[in-house]
Amino acid sequence: MEQENLMTLQNSSSFPETEKSQIHGIRGSLDLVESDRDDQSVVQEGNLPEKSFSEIIEPRLVLDSPKVETIALLEESSLAIIDPPSWKNELIPKIREPRLLNDSPWVRSPVPLEMKVQVSGWKFPVPIVETLPKPILNPKDSPDEEAVISDKELPDVSIPSNKIKTRIRPRPASDTVLFKDRLLYLLQPPLDHLFGDKQIAVPFKPFPYQLEGIAFLMPRHGALLADEMGLGKTAQAILSMRLLFHSGMISSALIICPKPLVFNWVREIQLWAPDLPFEFFQGDLEERRRTWFVSNCPMKIINYEMITRDAELLSDPRIGVDLVVLDEAQRIKNRTSKTAQIVCSLKRSRSWAITGTPIENRPEDLINLFAFIDPGKVPEGTPLKQIGTLTKDHILRRTKEMVQNDMPPKLIHDIPIELSPDQKISYELAEKEGVIRLNALGDTITVQHVFQLVMRLKQICNFDPVTGASSKLEQLVADMEEVSENQRKAIVFSQWVEPLEMIDKALKPFGPLQFHGKIPQLERIKILDQFKSDPSKHVILMSYGTGSVGLNLQFCDYVFLFDRWWNPAIEDQAINRAHRIGQKNPVTVIRFVVHNSIEQRIANILEAKRKLFQEVLEQAGSPASIGLSENEIFSLFDIQARPHKIAA
Amino acid sequence: MSVVQLPISIQLGFMTIFQENNTTLGGYLVTNSWGRPIEFRMSSGVQPNRMHQILYANTLQEYLHADLIGKALLDKSSSAVHLLFTDSLGTLSLRSRVNFPVVAIWDAGDNRGQEFDRVTYKHLSTPGFNQTMVMDPGFAEEEDTVLAILQRLDKAFDLTEPFQRIREAMGEARKMGVANRA
Repeated sequence: MEQENLMTLQNSSSFPETEKSQIHGIRGSLDLVESDRDDQSVVQEGNLPEKSFSEIIEPRLVLDSPKVETIALLEESSLAIIDPPSWKNELIPKIREPRLLNDSPWVRSPVPLEMKVQVSGWKFPVPIVETLPKPILNPKDSPDEEAVISDKELPDVSIPSNKIKTRIRPRPASDTVLFKDRLLYLLQPPLDHLFGDKQIAVPFKPFPYQLEGIAFLMPRHGALLADEMGLGKTAQAILSMRLLFHSGMISSALIICPKPLVFNWVREIQLWAPDLPFEFFQGDLEERRRTWFVSNCPMKIINYEMITRDAELLSDPRIGVDLVVLDEAQRIKNRTSKTAQIVCSLKRSRSWAITGTPIENRPEDLINLFAFIDPGKVPEGTPLKQIGTLTKDHILRRTKEMVQNDMPPKLIHDIPIELSPDQKISYELAEKEGVIRLNALGDTITVQHVFQLVMRLKQICNFDPVTGASSKLEQLVADMEEVSENQRKAIVFSQWVEPLEMIDKALKPFGPLQFHGKIPQLERIKILDQFKSDPSKHVILMSYGTGSVGLNLQFCDYVFLFDRWWNPAIEDQAINRAHRIGQKNPVTVIRFVVHNSIEQRIANILEAKRKLFQEVLEQAGSPASIGLSENEIFSLFDIQARPHKIAA
Repeated sequence: MSVVQLPISIQLGFMTIFQENNTTLGGYLVTNSWGRPIEFRMSSGVQPNRMHQILYANTLQEYLHADLIGKALLDKSSSAVHLLFTDSLGTLSLRSRVNFPVVAIWDAGDNRGQEFDRVTYKHLSTPGFNQTMVMDPGFAEEEDTVLAILQRLDKAFDLTEPFQRIREAMGEARKMGVANRA
């Protein structure tokens, strides 16, 4: 209706006069309306400009107002209208459709009745088929008794069950990125459970710290087990490998160890993993080639010398193993050596290094070890302070004091020896002439020249080169009488083979056995077995090079260091042949040191440096070298001559 | 006790369903008889609302544990098991949906499930522990099968320990954000 009215009014220019007057009347009525609204608005005829007709009819909304009154106006009269400012703009009707009539009504939706659950999952490598338990033939035989292998030589170190309070389980390492891999380790059963009665036969239950060592090794692709000598690193490594084989996580492993330790590994594997087949590399190149390429044996053992010879074979892409275990890993401390380069070039997915002396000479040894353990993890030249941070998650080192509160003590006695008259004359003469000769060398002197003099003097401290007199030997014979009377066994270490042969003659009443580089490899096992089992054999004579690593001689209560080695770490290794797990008695270590001699001077330097060894491992200090440095060797004598670089 | 024929290799299932922050979660681990993991499954969380609580009333827990989460976990698993251990009574009714025995197990001292048929197997107890096992009374005839399987297990096997592993694994999944995918 409104629109229709509007249309009509807009065409009002064609309206007849009568109608116009009516419209004027309308306008007049509008004025009335306005005046009703605003008393100040007064219509004054003749004073206001005329408006167009359309303007006049613009306020149209009131057309249908019931209040409008029509007033008849004269034709002559003019109409003046005050235009209300608020109505200047055209009014456009805004028509809103009634929402309630067209929209669907809003209703609160009901809660879904159905609950939904999503499932995610992972499958793991299939573990080996577990063997059935042995039938119990005699009801009196408890499974406990069946599981223990009878071996009188094995120590009774079973842990009372009430001492096992917390479960020891492998945890994923920080470098285990894939969630599935992390799950696999998290879901492994506790180790103390695995080494229960029926599951994994072991000669005796591992110590808790050994279980922790296994839990450390298992999930790690790069690991350094640096326990102190005698804590059972080999057993921990073998049991870790055994668990990995059982769980299907590895299918091949290569053990690299020093040549004298191959048979030690064989014995240990037979003891700790009798269900794992193994073989060791031997024979000529063709035989070794077959072992590399044809043999399907999951576990293989090779020595450092042999793997160096097989470098050409190792370049074959077919050769690769899941795990490489590097025993006495300090052998690759020099990364430029051929051995280190070949070992590091082996294709492998896991790299474990085992050594009791990860830092044998310098902290850089550790960096070089990590070139094998985790290539790229510790770049060459890494500042010492950062080494600890970078390697923290990969190294596990425990000392006997940390893990074995009930371990028998190690009693170290430094026995000062006075040289015999003959030795004294020879010693003083050699030193005097030697120093004169060194000084005569001037700038051409090298550390080798000094070293030769040191060796010469040390040999005189052992035996007089002319008469064969030896104060040390006299002392040793006296001590051995006591050892023999108490039905104990002793180890004598020397740097050279010749003194050992001379000692052998002097100790004949005590049944001496020799174990050094001159003894063929196959005879060494027999010698060790004889020493172990024959009660008349009270002493074994060993060179540091052959006998200081890997041997289990915990049935010996005495260790004699007839002369001192250059490096305290090597001496520790030698001593720990006897002071290791299974030792029930205190171990007495007797170090012969000739008073006021080159031995005394070396011992003083080494003792000071020994204290720094632990500091480096704890990242508390940064000694440049653990062994004797070139400067320190020169300082052993009062010589003026120095090589160019030292003098500078 | 009748003779029960068992395969050489036995696989065990361990299902734990627990509540955390008003959400019910489930984890399922399949192991061999030595406890070594073969398969692991975990569910997303389920949070029943007020309507569910009214509708299911006393049967809500059983519905959540057995019909919803337990069933979903078993349906998705591809490894066969010969005996299922659970640490919740509500999951026992899963037995009617599967063809292997289901046993609820707790450490001794927990007095839950007194109203159910009990099988106490003391030989299995680890030192200092003694587990209580509860079966659905409707399947009590499976006791011989359960005992035969238990006899095959190592007595040092702590049968409640795998539940802890499952919870740790689920915690790890949450930590690594994997749970969001579940």
